[in-house]
Amino acid sequence: MTRARSARLGVVVAGLLVGAASTAAAQKAQWTDAVFVPGYWAGGRLVQPAANAASDSLALVMSVAYFSAPPKWRAEISRTADGRTMGAPTVLIGEGDRAVVVTAVGATPLEQHALGRDPLVRAAVVFDAGGHRQGPANGRFVERLASGSVGRVVYRRAVRNPTFDLALLDPGGRSAGATLLASGISRVGDQRSASVVATAGARGVDNIKTPKGQVAVTPDTAAITKMDRYSVGTVALEEFMRSGGLGPYAVPADSTGRHP
Amino acid sequence: MTRPSRRGVAWGAATLLALGSAAPTPARAQNLLDRLRQAASVARTLLPISTAKEVEIGHGIAATIAGRYPVSHDTALTRYVNLVGLTVAGIAPRPDINYHFAVLVTPDVNAFAAPGGYVFITSGALALIHDEAELAGVLAHEVGHVNAKHVINQIRKSDAMREVKSQLDIQGATLDRLVGAGSDMLFVGLSREDELQADSLGLEYASAAGYDPGGLAAFIARLSTHAGEGALADFYATHPRPDERIERLHAIAAREHLTGGVDLAERYRSIVK
Repeated sequence: MTRARSARLGVVVAGLLVGAASTAAAQKAQWTDAVFVPGYWAGGRLVQPAANAASDSLALVMSVAYFSAPPKWRAEISRTADGRTMGAPTVLIGEGDRAVVVTAVGATPLEQHALGRDPLVRAAVVFDAGGHRQGPANGRFVERLASGSVGRVVYRRAVRNPTFDLALLDPGGRSAGATLLASGISRVGDQRSASVVATAGARGVDNIKTPKGQVAVTPDTAAITKMDRYSVGTVALEEFMRSGGLGPYAVPADSTGRHP
Repeated sequence: MTRPSRRGVAWGAATLLALGSAAPTPARAQNLLDRLRQAASVARTLLPISTAKEVEIGHGIAATIAGRYPVSHDTALTRYVNLVGLTVAGIAPRPDINYHFAVLVTPDVNAFAAPGGYVFITSGALALIHDEAELAGVLAHEVGHVNAKHVINQIRKSDAMREVKSQLDIQGATLDRLVGAGSDMLFVGLSREDELQADSLGLEYASAAGYDPGGLAAFIARLSTHAGEGALADFYATHPRPDERIERLHAIAAREHLTGGVDLAERYRSIVK
């Protein structure tokens, strides 16, 4: 083999390695779906709009956190019965388009579980036979019924750099029950804050530059740790947007810019 | 014999240019060393900063901001600012970070965004704001800085990155140096280009969230009427001219057909007193 051919082969192999690495990295995906249906919550009941009403009211019915590395995936489904508070998540573990419901005592195929008769849960299985996500990676999309009316509105937020443990997607062995539930849900949520707490140490007095010259500042790390811990909650945010006509409740302007 | 590719010729020419064509003399060797240092410097500025490290650096910069101006303990106000901020941040988010919003107690009129999603607005700015659409515009502008990684990208080019060879080096004293560099950038001011890009992103986020797209421009216009006041000195020193910003915002809104939206003035007045 000539030196030139050898070099070319090296470039090809390196390209394949880079390609393989990027494919492996691209396989992992993580996102959250907030699922709305037409109607509104009243006294713990979801009130459907009248059949002939041009309703612009949407009610939050569930939130689903997805973790995927095709063909395997995991969906944590949190339902609400009043549009305000989310219940404990139900965990589905899947491979391709097949799913099992994981409970504290074991795993049951979705089609044999009572949840398999729930159309919203079935709709949460958004994977094809290869375990790839169906639908857009990010943004808002509307699913219409055969009649043309709105069936579901989904707000999807993708995580740009998923770092979850692939063990979350494994329903096998002892991890199928309580261990899997406990480890998965808590581990994903705590990944970021742990690193911040570990390395953002207390610093002494800093001299910072300002337009008025140098100013001595003692950093207030405790105030930022408090900021980190503060959360308004998804339900409060949802109510805030609903009451202000914002986000999913914003009335779109028509082509002239006027609101109906 | 195969014909050399155009790229191969280019690489060869570049190598000759870099190394020189004659035998090395002390002067040429020094020249070569300088060029290698320059190349290493360029490579260094390209070192990315991971999201986890961005958040750590942002945490430190945010602590410096909170050290300069105390963070408000008004729970209703903090909650409200977070709700408005999260509403606009949710439109075009970086899902890899969590956004946090807080109010700084100072008559100075300003707002800050540290990397990693830490956003601050001063009580002096809130006093000049008239409605929720204006607040949304200001917070969305700051979210734009975070999403476009303006401070992090400046830190990557700073001398403080000289000793950083990998993400693992961003800790301890090096982390503190990067935090110091980022804090200086925030208080001295970002570039005109970064500010105008943040304006554009802020307009996009606030409008897409359902707010009146004129909110940010209205607030900047009001600041013009207070020009020369001490509370606005730092703001004017660190931001492009108001008339230029307003003109650009109006042009973008017209080009993108951004109209309508709500201002929610009553809700703003009921919480920000």
